[in-house]
Amino acid sequence: MDRSLVAGLRAALLITAKDLRQRVRDRSAWLFAVVVPFGLAVIFSLVLPGFEAGDVAVRVGVVGTSPTAERFAASLEDLDVVTGVERVADEQAATSALSASELDVAVLVPADLADGPGGTLEVLARPGETVASEVGRSLAAGLAHRVDAAVLAAIAARAAGASGGRVADAARLAAAAPSPVQVVGASTAPRQLDATTYLAAGMAVFFLFFTVQLGVTSLLEERQRGTWTRLRAAPVPPWSVVAGKVLTSIVLGLISMAVLIVGTSALLGASWGDPVAVAVLTAAGVLAACSLVAVVGKLARTAEQAGAWQSIVAIVLGMLGGAFFPLDRGTGLVAALTDLSPHAWYLRGLGDLAAGAGVRAVTTETAVLVAFAGGGVLLAAVLPARWARS
Amino acid sequence: MRSVLAIGGVAVVRLVRDRGNLFFVFVFPLLLVLLIGMSFGGSQQRRLAVVTGDAGPATDSLVRSVEQAGSVVVDRLGDAAAAREAVARGTVDGALLVPAGYGDDLAAGTAQVELIGRADQQAGLRPVVEQATAAQATVHRAAAALGRVLPGSVDARALERLHAGVPETAVSTRAVGGQAGLAAEFAGLGQFDLGASSQLLLFVFVTSLSASSALVEDRELGMTARVLTTPTTPRQLIAGLGIGRYAVALAQGLYIIAATRLIFGVDWGDPVGAGLILAVFSGVSAGAAMLLGSHADNDAQASGLGVGLALGLAALGGSMAPLEVFPDTMRTIARATPHAWGNEAFAELVRRDGSVADIAPQLGVLAAMAVGLYALAAVRLRRRVSGTGG
Repeated sequence: MDRSLVAGLRAALLITAKDLRQRVRDRSAWLFAVVVPFGLAVIFSLVLPGFEAGDVAVRVGVVGTSPTAERFAASLEDLDVVTGVERVADEQAATSALSASELDVAVLVPADLADGPGGTLEVLARPGETVASEVGRSLAAGLAHRVDAAVLAAIAARAAGASGGRVADAARLAAAAPSPVQVVGASTAPRQLDATTYLAAGMAVFFLFFTVQLGVTSLLEERQRGTWTRLRAAPVPPWSVVAGKVLTSIVLGLISMAVLIVGTSALLGASWGDPVAVAVLTAAGVLAACSLVAVVGKLARTAEQAGAWQSIVAIVLGMLGGAFFPLDRGTGLVAALTDLSPHAWYLRGLGDLAAGAGVRAVTTETAVLVAFAGGGVLLAAVLPARWARS
Repeated sequence: MRSVLAIGGVAVVRLVRDRGNLFFVFVFPLLLVLLIGMSFGGSQQRRLAVVTGDAGPATDSLVRSVEQAGSVVVDRLGDAAAAREAVARGTVDGALLVPAGYGDDLAAGTAQVELIGRADQQAGLRPVVEQATAAQATVHRAAAALGRVLPGSVDARALERLHAGVPETAVSTRAVGGQAGLAAEFAGLGQFDLGASSQLLLFVFVTSLSASSALVEDRELGMTARVLTTPTTPRQLIAGLGIGRYAVALAQGLYIIAATRLIFGVDWGDPVGAGLILAVFSGVSAGAAMLLGSHADNDAQASGLGVGLALGLAALGGSMAPLEVFPDTMRTIARATPHAWGNEAFAELVRRDGSVADIAPQLGVLAAMAVGLYALAAVRLRRRVSGTGG
């Protein structure tokens, strides 16, 4: 092996070791690397009472005593979406039952509903309760369309000259006829993180981009303090110093992520997924974060400017990537912007592991993150330094 | 007095002049309010992916019915696999697969559509889809009945024409039963209102605490000592520093109120009330910043600790997830934070059209916190500034 390469590597590792020792002793480094993200994840898990999308199940009240109303109420008893059916005397009773939260939705069935066309079914629900209101509407619509079918059959039968008895038969059969359309339900395994894990992962990846600033900004600080020239005077290739600093960032990033992953899994019950896959994905994420921070560092004029810009980039990409809360993704511009955020790819990768998949499932996301890292390194190498010579 | 104001004025000048603050103080708060409003404010639109096998009239009318049936946004996708993935990832809330030949199957009474949901949540879109399919069942049901009662008399096209001329049974919804539940608590709020008031408190506190590092920096640089060689007493200096912190907090708050009002049309409730909340809350922030500045040993520690504490208190106090969703124990614990009192006060002003009298208790608590924090800080600073201790 080339002697200067060996010397360079040794120098780089020495610098990394020294920097790490310094950082480990510095309490403020641990604050953002571990304490704050973990603390926030803990607080969130305490204040958010399991925001799982709930089961849809409503208690329905049917107001009306006609045979139609009775048949309607009976038809609701077996539906999954209905937990209970009450026969309610009148609208007043329904309103008070709704206010008292004894019912979730009420349907007013007028006595003359099936007598002719153009009747109205009223659905009552509490203000702002869109789910209950919607289920009520759907149930009422089911009744409404059966009534329409009965009315239509009756009109057609009368027009064809049928007797009263036959007309009634036609109406009854039409109302009871099965629907020509069957809605078959199917489900897919979620490739999305549960709430606790999402919070933990979001906080971890968000603060990662702050943790990895430490190595790179220390490079700029050394320049400002003048120790940089002294380092360059040493008989080691100049790249080794940069390599040492970057390696510090990488190691700090890996350590902090490892601590957060283990900590949130053990203490908060977060389930990150298959350990090998998580390790690979996280390593790629750390590399992407370091390279991004390096690019910003290359473009900065002073250490303060670097710190400020790195934080800005970290915040904007973090928000776009849904690190704080999942953005309403949709299509178009928002989706395109989201794809620019390494945070989004990291969280997406974790989502793929939610169903218990192994490292193969995250190949795409890992590749994208590595591409981010590669692109960043290229940019950092190629871009002209804007360092203000003080 | 003049020296006190002069010392105070410098703090605001520093806030505004520091270009690094441009983003964090002026842009970031608005960005967050925008994102929160977009993600959580306003009515939640659900997304349904739809994959159709052909483009017949029956299929089209089904899709149109689904769009109209509930606040649902339809995403047309090309194939079932893409639709399943979108559901798994949570990009859409469900997927509807309409096979080719749907129209013919509908006429024959054997149509089937598939509705895909996530395994960990019930398909809340089922009522909407069933409502849409029910609308298509009317003519078919009538035809089936007539076919049995008056065989041979059924002319499908004539039946369709008849159906078009007969008024349908309408389904209308009405909200009754007064206020109940979480949805009603937030009903009537503008899209950005909740985010604006919670972020106001978060940012005033964070800006204040992160600026507390300036206090430590002054000490480190020896500026404090130099000020004391002028005819400025320690008491005046501390008062000046206090006013400085207060002015910084107030400036950040006034900016957010004005900018969100202008850009997002945020409703802040009674202006006097809002102003008073901001005034006392700024006092609390200033006191906290002073206390932190008086204890910290170096400026990096101060700003790091400050931001971390500020974020933690904001989360605990309902400035990240709203207090209303907190479990009871956490709601009680939240009372230890100034943010909780501030958020409650704004809730009173904005959601329930409260007046100053209604928020007097919250104002009182905040004022007491401000005075307490300032007193503690003043004692500690006095000792440090006079050279005894610290």
